[in-house]
Amino acid sequence: MSARQPRFNQQVLIDTTPLPDDVPKVQEVGASSAPLMSASFFIGARCKPYNDDYMMCKTDANGRGELECMREGRKVTRCAISVLDDINKHCLDEFRAHWKCLENNNQQMWKCRLVEHPLNKCVFDKLKLEKTIPGTPEGQAPVHTKKRSIYM
Amino acid sequence: MGVPFEALIPYGVMGVMFAIAGAAMGKLKHMQSGGKRPRRNLDAWDRQMMNRDRRLTGYLRGQSDDAMAPAGFELNNPWRMEKGIGGING
Repeated sequence: MSARQPRFNQQVLIDTTPLPDDVPKVQEVGASSAPLMSASFFIGARCKPYNDDYMMCKTDANGRGELECMREGRKVTRCAISVLDDINKHCLDEFRAHWKCLENNNQQMWKCRLVEHPLNKCVFDKLKLEKTIPGTPEGQAPVHTKKRSIYM
Repeated sequence: MGVPFEALIPYGVMGVMFAIAGAAMGKLKHMQSGGKRPRRNLDAWDRQMMNRDRRLTGYLRGQSDDAMAPAGFELNNPWRMEKGIGGING
């Protein structure tokens, strides 16, 4: 008998066994896609070392790094939670305006520049986190700081 | 001789039907997205994030900006299975 492709849409199993107790407990990040997209550059600004460590661990593990890289993963989660906490405490209104705009616009950042400028300013003033786009060509203004853009 | 407007009436009827159908589709999509504009051009990443949103908030387009997830979120990711002869449930 030849094997057939498995059909994984017939049933669902939710396994509620928690992790063993020797794994330190860390809360998961509670932001959904639009707030996460909005805060992504600020998370990157603060958490770059932890993120790089985790990515290096996963790349070096060659596809087998789920258990070995959990320590770095916990650091990434805690750092992201700290950034979101700070943004919620200091810049909640601008943050909400920006992610609501993103959610209405297919999560495309170029459509929400008008709302993004106050958020960037508030986060830079209060949290000292600056949004940088890695890979911007030298000498060219980054796309989120351009004064005149075709799309607003 | 004036413009033969009676001959253009069927085109007008077709145009109105297209317009009604388009408006109805747009309104339906708007209602299905919880009052927001519908998402388009979704790739695997976007579908995965929307699945995560549904696990987090209960709605496919629901959003939340809490820093920490509600209790039970880390355990509610489902394993997709098939009904097999010798499996757990079959």
